[in-house]
Amino acid sequence: MKKLIDLTLNDFKLIYRTPSLRAFLVMPGIIFIVVLVLLPMLVENFPSVEPYLPPILIVATFELTQMFGFIYCMVLIEEKETAVAKIYGVLPVSKIGFVLARLFIPTLITTVLTFILLEAQTFYPVAVVPNLVFSLIAGLLVPVYILGISVLAKNRMAGMVWIKVFNIAVVIPVIAFFIPQRFTPLFGIFPTHWPYQGFFSLLEGEAFLWQLIIGLFYLGGLLVIAVRKFALSHFV
Amino acid sequence: MIKVNGLSFTYPGTDAPTLKALNFDIKRGEIFGFLGPSGAGKSTTQKIMYKILHHFEGEVLIDDKPLSKWGKEYYARIGVGFELPNHYLKLTARENMALFASFYPKKQIQDIPQLFEMVGLEADIDKKVEAYSKGMKMRLNFIRALLHNPEILFFDEPTAGLDPMNAKKIREHIIQLKNQGKTIFITTHNMYTADELCDRVSFIVDGALQITEPPATLKHNYGRDVVRVDLEDKQSAEFPLQGLGQNPQFLAFLNQAPLLRINTLEATLEEVFLQVTGKALKI
Ligand SMILES: Nc1ncnc2c1ncn2[C@@H]1O[C@H](COP(=O)(O)OP(=O)(O)O)[C@@H](O)[C@H]1O
Ligand SMILES: [Mg+2]
Repeated sequence: MKKLIDLTLNDFKLIYRTPSLRAFLVMPGIIFIVVLVLLPMLVENFPSVEPYLPPILIVATFELTQMFGFIYCMVLIEEKETAVAKIYGVLPVSKIGFVLARLFIPTLITTVLTFILLEAQTFYPVAVVPNLVFSLIAGLLVPVYILGISVLAKNRMAGMVWIKVFNIAVVIPVIAFFIPQRFTPLFGIFPTHWPYQGFFSLLEGEAFLWQLIIGLFYLGGLLVIAVRKFALSHFV
Repeated sequence: MIKVNGLSFTYPGTDAPTLKALNFDIKRGEIFGFLGPSGAGKSTTQKIMYKILHHFEGEVLIDDKPLSKWGKEYYARIGVGFELPNHYLKLTARENMALFASFYPKKQIQDIPQLFEMVGLEADIDKKVEAYSKGMKMRLNFIRALLHNPEILFFDEPTAGLDPMNAKKIREHIIQLKNQGKTIFITTHNMYTADELCDRVSFIVDGALQITEPPATLKHNYGRDVVRVDLEDKQSAEFPLQGLGQNPQFLAFLNQAPLLRINTLEATLEEVFLQVTGKALKI
């Protein structure tokens, strides 16, 4: 536990001392303002927006994952570019344990922020248990996102490109909301499709838990793959 | 302590092997070195030995136990001095050291300010590493390898990129480490480093080892035991070292004109390298 906190404190030191990364720490604040203040104002003044509230709300919520997603990608890619990652490769620690410990707190913080946002928003009531599952999925997305990009990107330039690609992949399943229903399964290859669909089902009063569970297992599977690939590629 | 038999390695995605059936051993308490030009496979060999590269052929034994049988406890016994400086630039030198120290058993950790003092960085300990020069960063690399007082040390090109003063200091520190009983494996393309440090040196070219001997033996075997005398009137002559003081021709020659210089014609390690491998060390 101490190791876990030490690692996180060190990463936060690095983040705090890099102005371009430090700036990203305000991102959840902006999302909270948008969802809790601006969106209600918008709906009040333009009632025609209301039918689009579910996709807006779920996408805004999942954008919470992008803060640590972006920041940690940058930290890890820079660490690899400057060969600091190699030092971890010769320390007496298990590589996989190290990766999991290092990403645990950003995952946890994202989970908690998501939970609070879904509790605090006043548009739709979300019961505690489904909220927890949504929040866990959002949290789990963070390490998958970070490790996936870090494995694929050889340097910061490539990292920026992959971040764009992943960012789009997180948002894109929302299209399923706007197209005929028979096409929606096509978006199932995107992990966030499942919590998005789960959210719509929840609002419709339909069965939604199975969709969330698929999302959870899908991300869990991706996490296992990403951790393994990362452990093989990051430390050499 | 370390035994390597028939070590071959091919990087994934390449077809020619980078290492070809290397055989060598490193005895407890000695400084062993690889001398060879850039691209010979020196770093690759070390990376295999500190388990960063896998899927090699042959056998690497540490204390008679195959490398694959060693778990993460292996890393508490070895120290790695990387070829290029690698530090968190946004952290101070002390923060860098403290971070990596936190991964080792506490009782192994050396006094950090004392390590900085040893390499003349005590005044810069709380500066961010981004303010360090290349030479300072390399010295930081060096002491980081010593942080946990390891028994076995790998130094990849420990003097490359250092000015002569700092290179000399690092060489002295490596000799001190040997005197403390450490087992040390260095790689270098610098004949002075190899000559001054190594108890035994292997010549490596194109992924193959050519010869392994103490530097003095090599210089002796491949050089000639003669002195060459140059006089100011441009005359010169060679005389055998054996019985030089009683050699009448030598003494007579010295009196023919004012003396310009006298050299022994012992080979340099670089000349031996060229003779043995047919390749120049220069990169
Ligand atoms: N990751 C890699 N992939 C493919 N080839 C590599 C890789 N790293 C090094 N090589 C090649 O292996 C050879 C040996 O490299 P290296 O061990 O770094 O040499 P040295 O340390 O003696 O300069 C070189 O030809 C180099 O180009
Ligand atoms: Mg090298």
